[in-house]
Amino acid sequence: MLKEFFTRLRFLFASKSHGEVDEELRFHLDQQIEANFRAGMSSEEARRQAAIAFGGVERTREQCWEERPGYLMETFVQDLRYALRGFRRNPTFSATVVLTLMLGIGSTTAVFSVVDRILFRSLPYGDADRLVSVGLIAPIEPQEFMLGGSYYEWQDNQKPFVSLTSESWTSPCDLTESNPARLDCARVEGNFLPTLGVSPVVGRNFTANEDRPNGPRVALITYGLWQSRFSMDPAAVGKLIRIDGNATEIVGVLPKDFEMPRLQAADVLLPQTLDVAAERRADPGHPMWAYARLKPGVSVEQAKAELEPLFDYSLRLAPAPFRKEVHLRVRSLRDRQVHEVSLAAWILLGLVLTVLLIACANVTSLLLARGASREKELAVRSALGAGRMRLLRQSLTESLTLSVAGGAAGCFFAMLLLRLFIAMAPDGMPFLGKARVDLRILIFALATSLLCAVFFAVMAGMRRADPEALTGRTRLNLRHAVLRRWLVIAQIAASVVLLAGGALLVRSFWNLEKQSLGMNAENIVTAAISLGQTSYPTPESQMAFFQRLERNLRYGPGIAAFAISDSLPPGGSHRDQVYASLQVEGKPVLASGTGGTVASRWVTPEYFRALQIPIVQGQGFTEAELTSNDHFVVLSKSLAGRLFPSQNPIGQRLHLHHGAPAASDPACVVVGIAADVKNGGLAGSEEPEYYQLRRNRAEDWDRSSVLILKTTLPPGATDAWIRSQVASLDPTAPVDIRTLSERVGKLADRSRFEMLLVGFFACTGLVLTVVGLYGVIAFFVVQRTPEIGLRMAVGASRADILRLVLANAFRLIVPGALLGLVLAAALSSVLQSLLFNVSAHDPATFAAATGLLILVALFATLIPGRSATRVNPTVALRCD
Amino acid sequence: MPQPTDLLQGTLDLLILRTLALEPMHGWGIAQRIQQVSRNVLQVGQGSLYPALHRLEYKGWIEADWKASENNRKAKYYALTATGKRQLEAEIESWDRLAGAVALVLDQI
Repeated sequence: MLKEFFTRLRFLFASKSHGEVDEELRFHLDQQIEANFRAGMSSEEARRQAAIAFGGVERTREQCWEERPGYLMETFVQDLRYALRGFRRNPTFSATVVLTLMLGIGSTTAVFSVVDRILFRSLPYGDADRLVSVGLIAPIEPQEFMLGGSYYEWQDNQKPFVSLTSESWTSPCDLTESNPARLDCARVEGNFLPTLGVSPVVGRNFTANEDRPNGPRVALITYGLWQSRFSMDPAAVGKLIRIDGNATEIVGVLPKDFEMPRLQAADVLLPQTLDVAAERRADPGHPMWAYARLKPGVSVEQAKAELEPLFDYSLRLAPAPFRKEVHLRVRSLRDRQVHEVSLAAWILLGLVLTVLLIACANVTSLLLARGASREKELAVRSALGAGRMRLLRQSLTESLTLSVAGGAAGCFFAMLLLRLFIAMAPDGMPFLGKARVDLRILIFALATSLLCAVFFAVMAGMRRADPEALTGRTRLNLRHAVLRRWLVIAQIAASVVLLAGGALLVRSFWNLEKQSLGMNAENIVTAAISLGQTSYPTPESQMAFFQRLERNLRYGPGIAAFAISDSLPPGGSHRDQVYASLQVEGKPVLASGTGGTVASRWVTPEYFRALQIPIVQGQGFTEAELTSNDHFVVLSKSLAGRLFPSQNPIGQRLHLHHGAPAASDPACVVVGIAADVKNGGLAGSEEPEYYQLRRNRAEDWDRSSVLILKTTLPPGATDAWIRSQVASLDPTAPVDIRTLSERVGKLADRSRFEMLLVGFFACTGLVLTVVGLYGVIAFFVVQRTPEIGLRMAVGASRADILRLVLANAFRLIVPGALLGLVLAAALSSVLQSLLFNVSAHDPATFAAATGLLILVALFATLIPGRSATRVNPTVALRCD
Repeated sequence: MPQPTDLLQGTLDLLILRTLALEPMHGWGIAQRIQQVSRNVLQVGQGSLYPALHRLEYKGWIEADWKASENNRKAKYYALTATGKRQLEAEIESWDRLAGAVALVLDQI
């Protein structure tokens, strides 16, 4: 083997001369002549017969030469040089192909990298495909959840699962040590990690004994915390840390890639230490989230069917009127995690594949055009003795060079694009921050480009060189012309689909931004503060903190109004309850069903003035009520209309928590009706809402609040001052200061992101389509130059010629646009759930998209059209 | 005289190697020898002989040397190398297997 290799290597460098082969062949011929002579032929005849037997010398010599090792390499280099020369001669063509491939491959790779992370990433759990999320869904909580009252019943009696586990609340907690820190603590059941198939990298999981009320205090810490606080010291296990003032022993460290199934942030896992016996008796019990591992061979559907009896048990616990609105849900953990981004991800994938399709059509069309214009060259090469394989190899080299250049450019473009995506993406898109240009995907894209190359090369190389082309007459190659026209029609159609989708999202975003929020978010600075567990253990201390802060801030420079609330509109995070739990004194509660949800907030009197929410009836909260023993409530207009359809609500008494013990359900006096405010997110539906007054009583306060300051100063001017005021009271309290406009704007991030992405792809598609159309029309003009010359010679005016070109373009644009409209109408309904206040079949939007396309397409036609009108008949006719 | 048979693809290499196993020979000699031994059934034209010889030489299975021929002309003599000998054995073995298999099929049907 080795010797063979060296022999080849030797011949690669020391090649034999042509003369040597010639001499060898001459010797062979002479031997034959001599043999013939000896066999009795005349010398003349011997020579003649030998020459006949011998055949062509040149071909043999060539073949001997081609046997040389390195021959392939040599011709490849030759072909490459030839191809590069050709590209340099025609830079527009090569640049267009490379750019088209770059856009196609780059955007496909970038989007695949993102989508792969979202839809197809492997979850960081053992055998994650067997994990499901189990629970009830109700109008108040669209994501499945469980209640302690029935969870343990399920755990005891379920059949389809290997194990069922739960996590309950995750909340901020304080690491109270020499170097205090605010952390997120998640409470989980003892069998949480084993069910998920996760084992600690150091230490151990909780024991059953530790997951009991008043059990030993233990914690599992995340890898990140281990790294930052313990420098990855294995001796951290066994150490005591103080969490919210309680000495807690670290028993283990979670793996590096660990994440909570609901993807919420968590630094520490604590056993949830629920009193199981008490939970079983409780109604409804603790809210929790349940996950389970399916038994081998059990499908999600089977599991759901097997859980029905347990679900019925839970239903019996629910109040009768609610039962109809509660459902059982079992779905894979992956589905739970991607529930709302999956649609966006699939749409993204569809978009990018459309762009790739347009790009491919473009490249094919360009190469076809080039092939058609090189027919003559091909014929010459063929006539000079180039074999079919040789021609195929040459065209393969050319396409390969183009695709490799396009692929390489595409890789860079993908990295750039991915970075752009991550920078633009809102927080709500999970995993996007972790998306990388995946090696597999890159290889996939390169393979695609190479495949394209081989396809184009074979398409071009398979064509038999036509000797007719040597006559020098330019003829229309009808077959390719037809194929190219169809490609352009398809491109236009795809482009209309993209543009229509983009326009719909732009329209939707516009509606979202321009809608009335029901309040004035201008000049409002908000500061969210969450107090620590240990420093402020009681509601009294919390109230004291916020009231001192109010005294310090209220009359500061430029503060026109000041309020404290527990949440802010229009984002969806506020208190929620079902309508059926509201009871007007002296009237029955809602007879059946939950009546949907009702939002509520705890506010101080100036809330409405600060946000400029009009009080349409009554006088709202007053300072005098702050010290009252009575409870007061302001209703939103929609809630008042529903509760008091035909009477004056002011002064009526209302119970807010029907069914709760009397002590926690006091009668509240309605003192005002406020105008409706957007409260379900920007695109969400509005809920009826009521406001409760935060009096000077500890029971009305809790540890997290938002300060609302209406200022007359420019944005940002008050931030440092607010921060210093908070710090003067408690330097450890974290403050999140932002203007209300910023908070509102953040809610629109998601749709802005979607709009920009779709818009980007629509523009890319449009550019590629226009390039394709331009190419076809320009080619049409070049090929018809003699004909145009002839027409002009016999009297056609410039307008006639322009009309000829335009008519030709319209035969592409009109069917393409129509086809595109039909496709867009069929496909756009998938966008419906992303749209706000605009129908997926909005005619105006569709018309605008089509109009834009036709306008740009006409522009692309006019350039070759103008050059057609400048054809000089004399020159054009002489050419042929 | 029976019609000369077209050489089966790939068998030319085998024939050349086998012929050279006897003694170093020049191209014309090889062609003549194959023709004689096969009783005129196998005729090797120069068009396929010389490319094959060059191919084998590049592979290192045979080596060439310019020597004086029997009629005292300078001729290129080819000889089997050690690698070539091993290759010949392998090729003969695989040919036997193939021929045996074909014979089996022919006998059977």
